[in-house]
Amino acid sequence: MLDLSRVQKELMDCNRDKDISGISVELRGDDLSRLFGTISGPIATPYEGGTFRIDIHLTDEYPFEPPKMQFMTKVWHPNISSQNGAICLDILKDQWSPALTIKTALLSLQALLSAPEPDDPQDAVVAQQYLRDYPTFVGTARYWTETFAKRASVGIEEKVQKLVEMGFPEDLVRKSLDKVGGDENMALEKLCSG
Amino acid sequence: MRDYVVEIIERTFNVAAYVATSIHDYPDVALASAVLFYWSRRASEDGLCMSAARACTLHDLIFRCAPGIVEIDPGRAVTDGARARIACQSLALELVEQSQVGICLSELDQLDLGLLETNRSMEEDDYMYSDDDEADCSDRDLDGIESEEDSLDWHPKPSSKVITKESLLLAQGEDLRRVMEFLKLKEQHARTLLIHHRWDVDKLFAVLVDKGKDQLFAEAGVTVLECKSYAASLFSPTVACNICMEDICANEVTVMDCSHCFCNNCWTEHFIVKINEGQSRRIRCMEHKCNAICDEAAIRNLVSARDPELAERFERFLLESYIDDNKMVKWCPSVPHCGNAIRVENDEYCEVECACGLQFCFRCSSEAHSPCSCLMWELWAKKCKDESETVNWMTVHTKPCPKCHKPVEKNGGCNLVSCICGQPFCWLCGGATGKNHTWTSISGHSCGRYKEDKEQSAERAKKDLYRYMHYHNRHKAHTDSFKLESRLKELIKDKISISESKNINYIDYTWVTNGLYRLFRSRRVLSYSYPFAYYMFGNDLFKDEMADEKKRELKKNLFEDQQERLESNVEKLSKSLEQQFDELTEEAVMAMRAEVINLSVHIDGICKKMYECIENDLLGSLEQAIHNISPYKSEGVERASELSVFTRDPSQCFLQLNSSLKGETMEPGRSSSGSPSFEKGCSSRKRGRREALLDLNMPARATFKSYDFNSQISHPR
Repeated sequence: MLDLSRVQKELMDCNRDKDISGISVELRGDDLSRLFGTISGPIATPYEGGTFRIDIHLTDEYPFEPPKMQFMTKVWHPNISSQNGAICLDILKDQWSPALTIKTALLSLQALLSAPEPDDPQDAVVAQQYLRDYPTFVGTARYWTETFAKRASVGIEEKVQKLVEMGFPEDLVRKSLDKVGGDENMALEKLCSG
Repeated sequence: MRDYVVEIIERTFNVAAYVATSIHDYPDVALASAVLFYWSRRASEDGLCMSAARACTLHDLIFRCAPGIVEIDPGRAVTDGARARIACQSLALELVEQSQVGICLSELDQLDLGLLETNRSMEEDDYMYSDDDEADCSDRDLDGIESEEDSLDWHPKPSSKVITKESLLLAQGEDLRRVMEFLKLKEQHARTLLIHHRWDVDKLFAVLVDKGKDQLFAEAGVTVLECKSYAASLFSPTVACNICMEDICANEVTVMDCSHCFCNNCWTEHFIVKINEGQSRRIRCMEHKCNAICDEAAIRNLVSARDPELAERFERFLLESYIDDNKMVKWCPSVPHCGNAIRVENDEYCEVECACGLQFCFRCSSEAHSPCSCLMWELWAKKCKDESETVNWMTVHTKPCPKCHKPVEKNGGCNLVSCICGQPFCWLCGGATGKNHTWTSISGHSCGRYKEDKEQSAERAKKDLYRYMHYHNRHKAHTDSFKLESRLKELIKDKISISESKNINYIDYTWVTNGLYRLFRSRRVLSYSYPFAYYMFGNDLFKDEMADEKKRELKKNLFEDQQERLESNVEKLSKSLEQQFDELTEEAVMAMRAEVINLSVHIDGICKKMYECIENDLLGSLEQAIHNISPYKSEGVERASELSVFTRDPSQCFLQLNSSLKGETMEPGRSSSGSPSFEKGCSSRKRGRREALLDLNMPARATFKSYDFNSQISHPR
């Protein structure tokens, strides 16, 4: 079973210095095995200024098995799938060690954003663009950051407002928006489907 | 001058390193080499300290004991090894006296100790060698070997060994010990090294010489710390475990060789996850980026405390690495599985017989198929599986399409048939036609008129099929005869007992059984020679190599002549053996005996020649493809001998003999290689019956102890 006390300690530890590290981890629901993490885009990269949300799923064997992580925010990056946010990073696979934590994994993801490894790509299209046409790659990556990684955090209050006006209770609206990563339409769909 | 000496030393160094790997076969040579190894290294480090002449003598002596040479003249190697050892001894002493090198006295003590030990074990070594000689001398009679009773106490120079569940530990003991002794390692470290190098001891030593000890250890994840500094500092009552992030009582943590320390619970959890992932052989430390492999004893202890069954599985995985990760060892492919594995000593191109009775090709694990190469047999087996049952039906009911050569069945209607590839053709002549037709004529086709070229294209597919059928039928006929003749065995046994009871004069009837075995063997060769010929002279494998039609014809004739001779003689022998010799007069029996013996010898000769032809003239002349076949063995497929490990303890020998009795250790259908659960049911049964046997459920360390090199020395014979 999941080592609950370790996860709780990790959460506390992680959120203690979230302003400095730009990394935070929050619960998704009541269950400690579903979390989501937030990392800020590293400075001097096309991801600068963006806030990226990552879905974290801890298996029962955690920390002896790596946490399953996936980008919820769309990212244009050679090692991250532009389709579903799947991540290609060795420490999330065979190089995982129980001595690593969710925070160190998120830090590694931040490092991955600033130093892509196009030779070991998750998304072949992005990787090719990165290698053959770097300026276009930077442009696309920046555009995606602007479009997907900023809107969610900036306009969140407006969206809440909008949905509340439609007649949904505010706490439910906030929860739904959280769950879908801030996408207004998807949140609406979720609210409607109950 | 100095450069010259340094070069000599360098070369000696290499030879010494090479010879030292044969530590078990020739302890003297190995020890001498080790000493030389040590001194020459010191010498090259310190500049110059050994006289060139000395080094040369030693070099020469040891060089004569190099593995290849040793095989030719083992007796010589022993004396040379002993002389080298004495030379080493005196050289060492001389060097100490002259004090040309700053030697640590303790180092010298160690060396002397080693020399003493070999001295003591010399007598036993002598015993061993004479034992070997006996085995060599008991040269077996060509025809006097093959009755079942005989084959039990027949000990040829073994080239393959059966490894049963019981002897698995012994089998790897030899390799482990070599590494342990040479590198002065603990068993688990030696095992880790060997697993990393797939149990190839020679390769391991090559890496040692090339890259040095540190690199060798680092690559395999072995850490040997002189003292556990971390452990020593554990004075505080609690330790913070970095995994569960709790403060843990200091006696509930474990420090690995790499000095990383975590709590027992976390270690156990980690091990369980890794074992379940099937990574038992290389469980790494939990610390990030620590490449060290965890101590197997620690794993065993921790896991067995929580889940004894899993610990057993771990043990099993570890032991079976010797089979799974080793080029020279393979599981017996018997179904249901007999639980045995076979180890070959020299050449992986050979056929072996497991203790369970199954004969198989060691290389491809399919049935014994010499003189076919593995590739030929694979193709043939597939072809037969696809085609054999349908071949007959197809030739009667179908015609090959002139375009795609697929067989086409006519399902009614007129004689203008259309293949699924779209090609219409005439059912009467098999030739391609146009599409339009009336009742009386087909456009672009007039069957009645004879045209040669069309005939040819249609015939080609047919020819291929006929060719295959030719070889297939003959192969099958001989295989069937082989099966029928197997029944002769029982009949002949009866006849022998009748004759023996009838005759007052004792007549030896081993010639009958020997003749029968010769028949079985040559029948086998004959039957597999057909698929061989099919591929050798066909277009599937050697289209380019055999392009020259004339040459091919020549070679084919050469081969077929021999095949034919073999065939006729085999039939003669078969017929001769079917005689009712129990009803014949004594003179007639003697005549039959002469005939059978003559035919047997003759057939053996033909088989040998045929193999020579195959290996040298046919396969040997290929330029592109390399096809290796298992060589011809006059005595038939060799039965793998029970493993007898380098052991001098009489009680151990006894145990091995005990366990090697046929049938006792084999319980076919009981276990499967991969399944971890098979241990449970049978091991307890086994334990009850033969308590003294190696128990695989015990920690390897405990069982291995009795085979420790040092403890053997304390059992002088």
